[in-house]
Amino acid sequence: MSDRKLCAAFAIAGAFATAIALAETAKAAKAEQEKCFGVSLKGKNDCAAGPGTSCAGTSKTDYQGGAWKYVPKGTCTSIVTPKGKGSLEPIAN
Amino acid sequence: MTASADFDQNAFVRALLDPELPAPNGLEARHGIPPERRFAVYRNNVCVGLVDALAERFPVCRQLVGDEFFRAMAQRHMRESLPRTPMLFEYGHDFATFVSSFEPARELPYLSDVARLEYAVGQAYHAENATPLPMDVIRALPFDRLAGATAALHPSTHVVASTYPIVSIWRRHMSDEEMTPLELNHGEEALVVRPELAVNVTALPLGGSAFVHALEDRKTFGQAVIAASGVAADFDLTGCLRELLLAQAFIAVGASR
Amino acid sequence: METRSAPEHSCTRERSLPARAGVGFKSAHFSDIEASAPDVGFFEIHAENYMGDGGPPHAQLMRLRRDFPLSIHGVGLSIGGAERLDREHLRRVKFLADRYAPAAFSEHLAWSTQGARFLNDLLPLPYNATTLAHVVAHVDEIQETLGRPILLENPAAYLRFQSSDYSEIDFLREVVRRTDCRLLLDVTNAYVSATNLAFSAEDYINAFPMSYVEEIHLAGYAEDADEIGDPLLIDAHCAPVQDAVWRLYDRALALRGPVATLIEWDNDVPAWPLLLEQAARAARFLDKQRSGFGDNARSEALHDGVG
Ligand SMILES: [Fe+2]
Repeated sequence: MSDRKLCAAFAIAGAFATAIALAETAKAAKAEQEKCFGVSLKGKNDCAAGPGTSCAGTSKTDYQGGAWKYVPKGTCTSIVTPKGKGSLEPIAN
Repeated sequence: MTASADFDQNAFVRALLDPELPAPNGLEARHGIPPERRFAVYRNNVCVGLVDALAERFPVCRQLVGDEFFRAMAQRHMRESLPRTPMLFEYGHDFATFVSSFEPARELPYLSDVARLEYAVGQAYHAENATPLPMDVIRALPFDRLAGATAALHPSTHVVASTYPIVSIWRRHMSDEEMTPLELNHGEEALVVRPELAVNVTALPLGGSAFVHALEDRKTFGQAVIAASGVAADFDLTGCLRELLLAQAFIAVGASR
Repeated sequence: METRSAPEHSCTRERSLPARAGVGFKSAHFSDIEASAPDVGFFEIHAENYMGDGGPPHAQLMRLRRDFPLSIHGVGLSIGGAERLDREHLRRVKFLADRYAPAAFSEHLAWSTQGARFLNDLLPLPYNATTLAHVVAHVDEIQETLGRPILLENPAAYLRFQSSDYSEIDFLREVVRRTDCRLLLDVTNAYVSATNLAFSAEDYINAFPMSYVEEIHLAGYAEDADEIGDPLLIDAHCAPVQDAVWRLYDRALALRGPVATLIEWDNDVPAWPLLLEQAARAARFLDKQRSGFGDNARSEALHDGVG
């Protein structure tokens, strides 16, 4: 084994040992947190493969024409871009 | 037979997807009223159904831009890219790419990376099952020989690297955390794993996704460290391994080479 | 909870669905079902939602399958299309059917795929010799692959084709005669089509080849109006079953006798107790049919929960 490889092997061995120790300490706290993410994910991936079934009827869909008229109006406004809060001027096009 | 050969499925689909076109020939409603309104039911079902599927697949993107913007954007995408199979959980595979070049969303440069992360979450949800390597097995590994060893990661494992804090953004929306302002001044590399039934999303240290990709390519830990260091000179190997262990991403650690 | 992707032992298959009331399974209801062990005749799933490799969908399905008969309802084989069947997709259906050994597998008299694009809707076809040949070939191939007869479902129609030479019922009869498949009678679809195309729903039910019906679907429709203000009903699966449909269901049962009946509710999915209540109502129709065939008993079931 070359010196460089030996050094890498040593670093990896150390990192693994430390990582295991760290992971085990964090595990208890993490388990709680994950439980909550697991719950919130539930059902969100059950795609409605229900072809032919839409509650929207015929009149409620506004087929989008050529002109784009929408502006983001969601939670993106609470994200601070380098240019400022959300920078959501209406888009000219 | 009268006009049996007249049913042109192609023309039907073209009219279905283009609301500007008239309804196809050869259709009738009743009392001689034009079939337009009836045909619109099919148009609407296709459109609303696929937009709904995207809305369910990308709930954080939807919240970020709001319902109206999202549905209009999803409808644009749907007209360019229909599902390739009847498995709707695969739909949206190219949504992130579409979003990245979607002019009206250019003010939200992180949006396409969030979409990439959400798609990965969906894929992890349906991925093959596998048993994570138990901690006591990991503890008993010959650490001094790991540099030359390879690893098998859980089949649900995905990484998504971004120059924006996509994990923080995702978390705020998937939990009941309060929406306090979030600075976009750093990147995050997401690790997605579903060790059992719940999909977990965590942030890896910078270079972590290169590390994971290398392991997935059956490179050794030593080679993976080199790959990660190529991305981040001060790659935090310990921190990266800690996240992978916590996520239960390892299902096997191979023999030394 | 079973989390492995492969069953330890393969499920044994019931020969057919019980003549009881079942409901469409939604993952949002899983914990309610697990906690309450409800008295449900069977569950039906959409095949395409269970074609991933693993994860919660299969874990939940394994769990359900342990306690309940299962019906698998395909929405993507595009039986009514002119193109040949997607063999890859048929292979996935077979894999699922082998794995879960459902008591029934059903699909639609409709098409949904064109040129490797899946349109996610049940699209209509004209009923003539050309389309009959396609449908028969497709049903044959599916039945050969699965090694069992399938149930073919009548669609909800919004318009008709000038190029149709058969009525829907004659077309279905012909498919049954040539393929020996069975039928799934969607009573709501019959009602929706009848209203939209101005024919008598009662006549349709009276003429339906009931001896081949192995399952009935009931769902709530949505109401719209067409250009001249006439009702345009949409097969929306997002509401309780309406009274007109219950009445038609009662008529169908009188002709068919008790048969597996599914409450389909796929959009704006209700809380579990509400869905269960719909199934209980169908069960009362089935019970009364079983016990008396009496008009009094039937009208009692009809007036249950109305008002
Ligand atoms: Fe149905």
